[in-house]
Amino acid sequence: MIVLLGAFALVSLVIPALTRRVGVRVFFITAIIPAAAFIYTLLQTPAVLADTPPTETIPWISQLHLDLSFRVDTLSWLLALVVTGVGTLVMLYCIKYFAASEEGLGRFAAVFLAFTGTMYGLVIADNVYLLFILWEATTVFSFLLIGHNTGRLASRIAAMQALIVTTAGGLVMLVGLVMLAERTGTASLARLVDLAPEGTAVTIAIMLILVGALSKSAIVPFQFWLPSAMAAPTPVSAYLHAAAMVQAGIYLIARLAPGFAETPGWQPLLLGLGVFTMLVGGWRALTQVDLKLLLAYGTVSQLGFLLTVVSFGSRTAALAGVALLLAHALFKAALFMVVGLIDHRVGTRDLTKLSGLGREAPFLATVAIIAAVSMAGIPFTAGFVAKEAVLASFLESASAGSALGWIAVIGVAVGSTLTVAYSARFLWGAFARKDGVETVRPLHENVWFLSSPAILALTGLVLAPLFGTIGTVLEGYSQQFASEGYEYSLKLWHGFDAAFFVSAATLLGGLALFWARTQVFSLQSRVPSLVDSNKLYRSGLRTLDRIALRVTATTQRGSLPFYLTVILLVMVGSVGSTLALNRTWPDSIRLFDSPGQLAVGTVMIVAALALLGAQKRFQAAVLVGVVGYGMAALFAFHGAPDIALTQVLVETVTLIAFVLVLRRLPARLGKAHGSSRRVLRAAVGLSVGLLMGIVAIVALGARSADPISVSLPELAYEIGHGRNVVNVVLVDIRGWDTLGELSVIVAAATGVASLVFLRSRTDNLPRVSETRARGTIRARLKPSREIVSSEYLPGVQDPSTRTAWLLAGRKLAPENRSILLEVVIRLLFHPLIVLSIYLLFAGHNLPGGGFAAGLVAGLALAGRYLAGGRYELGAAAPFDAGRILGVGLVLAAGTATVPLFLGADALTSTFFETTIPVLGHLEFSTSTIFDIGVYLVVIGMVLDVLRSLGAEIDRQREESSESLESGSTI
Amino acid sequence: MSALTTLVVLLPLLGAAAALTQANRPRVQTLIAVSVLSAVLLIGAALLVAVNTNGAIAVEVGGWPAPYGIVLVVDRLSALMIVVSAAVLLAVLVFSVGQGLADGDRETPVSIYYPTYLILATGVFNAFVAGDLFNLYVSFEILLVASYVLITVGGTKPRIRAGTVYIVVSLVSSAIFLAAIAMIYGATGTVNIAQLTVRLAELPADIQLILHVMLLIGFGIKAAVFPLSFWLPDSYPMAPAPVTAVFAGLLTKVGVYAIIRTEMIIFPDGQLNTVLLIVAALTMVIGILGAVAQSDIKRLLSFTLISHIGYMLFGIGIDTAAGLAAATFYIVHHITVQTTLFLATGLVERQGGTTGINKLGGMLKTSPLIAVLFFIPLLNLGGIPPFSGFLGKLALFEAGANNGSVLAWVLIGCGAAVSLLTLYALARAWSMIFWRDAEEVADYENPLAMRAETGSSPVVESVRTTPRIMVGATVAMVTVSIALTVFATPLFDLSANAGENINGPAYYVNTVFPGGLE
Repeated sequence: MIVLLGAFALVSLVIPALTRRVGVRVFFITAIIPAAAFIYTLLQTPAVLADTPPTETIPWISQLHLDLSFRVDTLSWLLALVVTGVGTLVMLYCIKYFAASEEGLGRFAAVFLAFTGTMYGLVIADNVYLLFILWEATTVFSFLLIGHNTGRLASRIAAMQALIVTTAGGLVMLVGLVMLAERTGTASLARLVDLAPEGTAVTIAIMLILVGALSKSAIVPFQFWLPSAMAAPTPVSAYLHAAAMVQAGIYLIARLAPGFAETPGWQPLLLGLGVFTMLVGGWRALTQVDLKLLLAYGTVSQLGFLLTVVSFGSRTAALAGVALLLAHALFKAALFMVVGLIDHRVGTRDLTKLSGLGREAPFLATVAIIAAVSMAGIPFTAGFVAKEAVLASFLESASAGSALGWIAVIGVAVGSTLTVAYSARFLWGAFARKDGVETVRPLHENVWFLSSPAILALTGLVLAPLFGTIGTVLEGYSQQFASEGYEYSLKLWHGFDAAFFVSAATLLGGLALFWARTQVFSLQSRVPSLVDSNKLYRSGLRTLDRIALRVTATTQRGSLPFYLTVILLVMVGSVGSTLALNRTWPDSIRLFDSPGQLAVGTVMIVAALALLGAQKRFQAAVLVGVVGYGMAALFAFHGAPDIALTQVLVETVTLIAFVLVLRRLPARLGKAHGSSRRVLRAAVGLSVGLLMGIVAIVALGARSADPISVSLPELAYEIGHGRNVVNVVLVDIRGWDTLGELSVIVAAATGVASLVFLRSRTDNLPRVSETRARGTIRARLKPSREIVSSEYLPGVQDPSTRTAWLLAGRKLAPENRSILLEVVIRLLFHPLIVLSIYLLFAGHNLPGGGFAAGLVAGLALAGRYLAGGRYELGAAAPFDAGRILGVGLVLAAGTATVPLFLGADALTSTFFETTIPVLGHLEFSTSTIFDIGVYLVVIGMVLDVLRSLGAEIDRQREESSESLESGSTI
Repeated sequence: MSALTTLVVLLPLLGAAAALTQANRPRVQTLIAVSVLSAVLLIGAALLVAVNTNGAIAVEVGGWPAPYGIVLVVDRLSALMIVVSAAVLLAVLVFSVGQGLADGDRETPVSIYYPTYLILATGVFNAFVAGDLFNLYVSFEILLVASYVLITVGGTKPRIRAGTVYIVVSLVSSAIFLAAIAMIYGATGTVNIAQLTVRLAELPADIQLILHVMLLIGFGIKAAVFPLSFWLPDSYPMAPAPVTAVFAGLLTKVGVYAIIRTEMIIFPDGQLNTVLLIVAALTMVIGILGAVAQSDIKRLLSFTLISHIGYMLFGIGIDTAAGLAAATFYIVHHITVQTTLFLATGLVERQGGTTGINKLGGMLKTSPLIAVLFFIPLLNLGGIPPFSGFLGKLALFEAGANNGSVLAWVLIGCGAAVSLLTLYALARAWSMIFWRDAEEVADYENPLAMRAETGSSPVVESVRTTPRIMVGATVAMVTVSIALTVFATPLFDLSANAGENINGPAYYVNTVFPGGLE
């Protein structure tokens, strides 16, 4: 069985490619697989009869109780025969149905075959989750099949509808299955039915499962998707909507009925819905003018009928139910194929336009009649035998005094009357000669085309007398139900019993109804349709869309302040409420260690508050800076000169970057919003601040253990050979963090550059061309890529006649120059660089370190830029910032990696000390190499910021002002 | 093995550095990036095997003993995440190589793209191995700063705007996370996770709760948990397709991973399980409603991303080994499928020139392969069996049913409904893009009028050819996503074992402190 399923899957995959070669004949190939499955199932008959169901199991995901287990008992056997047999015939039918030029043929054939395989798997699956998998797979394949005519809006909507309705049902079912499997501890269908657990949870689970089954089988209130699905090509309707998919729900209910028919609510619910569906479907079928729709509503009606019978829960009803299932598959698939033929040959399925087709196409008409009489349940047909059994069972129950039995009898009788009427209408509509309608002239077709429906119809005819034998086979299923004290067997003729009289009455009634069709028609137009689920579905979707829009419009404002407010409010709400619940408060709070802290703290708070009212960007930047310098002061008060120094440098560089950026922004901050919002935001901000303060008090007050930092100085000196704890922590103990932060710096610098240069930054080193350079500094400049033209800015003197303190000072307009600044920078630059190198190497034992050192060097460069402009920067640092960043990162990451090759952990440092004459005692730790990496990365970053936010923006401004000027002169 | 652990982080970092020095040689950069990520993928696989057979690994970086130095921890969950992330990063990289070659690097200026991408990878990998809360923060910073650069690549106006939202919100989340770390250090005097779990347990429950909530808010923003998720759909979709793919696939999952560590190791008492479950339900439902209302595929997918974070929280909130196993499996599934969908969207965008659902049509005829490449992950995300999305949901439902509380059943119900809505939103989009005729597009009644589209851009007829590399990378991802079903058994075994490992901190503490703590 599993091999067969594999074959289905594999062949489906190659079909599209194959179709390109062989065209429509590909259906011969696809027919082979279901045919093989059919034959294989037939070969299993002895085992099934002997009540030793063949099983196959491949364990799959045991944690989820999901195994590939299959089991062919009587019910599965019957359905397997139906789905594979009808499947084979429909495939053969496709050969003639589709033109070779049909669009998407390969896709269709592949999906169709896959569907057939899934259906086969579905009816033989024993694991509930496997069943669900296949169940949903049929949904998806049917989505693709219904939407085959992709260009038509109607097919797309119908496909969507079928998908949504059946998936919705399926998911509800899944929840039920999970409940059931969880409660019983088994996922085997057969075991579940054997165990037949009870209880509220089981009842809920069963109800959920039923929702899935009912939606699949198009039972009210889910019936609407089926008629819409008629947008599909006819072979799809013949297979999915007659023999296969829609029967899946019925199959599942039949499968569960032996164990769960006694579940509270099962009988009244299913019987009610079944009868109702049967009546609604039949009633609607009577008014259809499209033959296919007529059959579709007929199918809805028949599904209701089937549901009524298989859910009834008595032994005879069960037997009747499976017989009816077989009969229905045979005649309904045949009839759909007949409609397809009519459509093909005449070009219409509208019964008001068809006239005299019976005479023109006698064989077709014969096949249709054979199938239709079975549908109507005329004596000596398969449909009749099944219906007799149904009525006998229901009458037995009714005569035993069961109210449900009476409802069933009456419902089925009325429903059958309608069935007879619409069967007659179908035959009349398709084949009869009608007054005032032109006789159709059908195309002639190959007899082959007719073979599939003919075989099905004739099978129904031939099987009818054999139903006695078939009945004994099917009893394998029905005997799972408790005996009712009498044995009913399927027979072609039971004599003139009560069931026959009911049957006969429905026949006459139905014919009468057909006779009076005009009156019926006018009556129907006056009776409003009771359940218009289609409308419900559509308005449901519209409501969903509307709700979705409203919810999304409320939450997704596209406003950053709104998002931040929400985040902070969540924080205030949640952290605030935990604080409110908190009962562990510290006994005493020490507000400050020294008055200096108090003073600095006050300044910081005032600056932060002033920031809220800042009107200009520059003002805001400075106030942020004040807070930052205040932080540095606090570090200093805590006895951390390193951190304080670094913080001061960071603040300075940040301030410079800010100022550089601000040149491109409007001076004033954006317009203030209304006062209410400002109040809200201020309130939120203040609450967050207060909250953090209180949390800090609580958290610090709760400490009982010693912090790990207590041991750090000792560790740093003993193992790290450094007296500067901060530095050893940064480059060694927590060097891994530093390495990470280096990559942050690299990424940030790269990002700033990428935003300003957009394309590539490597080609933008501004330099003064060598010929104009002066002195030794320029001698080492490589030929520049950006040659500055000889046109100088207005007011700049010819460089040859001037000497300047700074190289590129001559590129600046005089009003932008400051001689004093140039002089100071010129004097300070080299000492600063030397200082930075000192800080770099001293850092291990004294305040300093790569980070601070890099910042100092960066500040020196910033000074050169501020005093001398972008050309000065190019001269001072004629390197590609990206490359400096890269080299720095390589050094740092390399220091981390090299120890790995020496068999140590990453970042392990090694310490050397030696005494060299003249230089004296030297100590060197490999972590210093790491620190050099840090140094380079920091310089690279500052350089990148200066290049992009400084130099490049200068250039862009000059360009735009030049273009502005040239524009004005023209 | 410990060397391999550090290499997972060091290799991409060295690669980034090397790529930076080769700014003028895009081919060399490409080679570096591809080989580095391939190497990490192999190392990750080796780690996974090693950890699965021999138990978790703890590495003391620089030889500094825990808790003083930084410790890296690889257990099954970490190793699994590394493997999946490396695979996804590699596939997306290859995809963007294809796109870059074809577009003349319009979307992805190579000289910064590859180094930044590798830095992003560094951050992601480091987050998965961090055994130190502050180092975890550093990991987040690495990946976030790299993502700031990637999201604004090209510097177009919409990207800058999206980038602003993204960066500001991320900074706020980082600040909250940092504050939480400070408070936790304040209360316990350590940031080593294994030691934290011991010391935090000694604190009064009410103080634990305060710290717990703060930490979760920080991670919740990164993981895009409702109502901290609004920023995501306004930022992710604007980035270039491969960038969005990797963001959507990975970044939020790093947040979810951090939440798992928080709930299972740092605060293992399950104080907030109920809250997590409620938030999970809201995230699922509100998120998917957003998806239903979208008319742009990228935005639509961003909302499904948020929505499905809810499923993972569901598994975490159940707080059993089965729930964790389900969440773990779901994370793996979701990383794969969400990335695949965004890559497929990238193909659609390339082929059709837009991601507006209302402007696309008739693509089944022009690009049948893309239709398939979109359809399979669509079903997968919608939880249609037999794909991994279904298996993940089934595992979650079973774990929920096993828990049996009313709230768990509500979550199961929400899970089923959200699954349906996901399918609805995606299938509708798919049928419009691929099935609808191109001619129909022009006068189509627009059911999704969420945002009036400015201007009447003409219907896009597919003219461009799509590079094989891009399609190939997408095919590879679809294959991986299908492989998750085929190899679901070992994956579930792994997830189940991971679930048992991380359910309760004892295993973790013993890994870091084999000789016991203090």
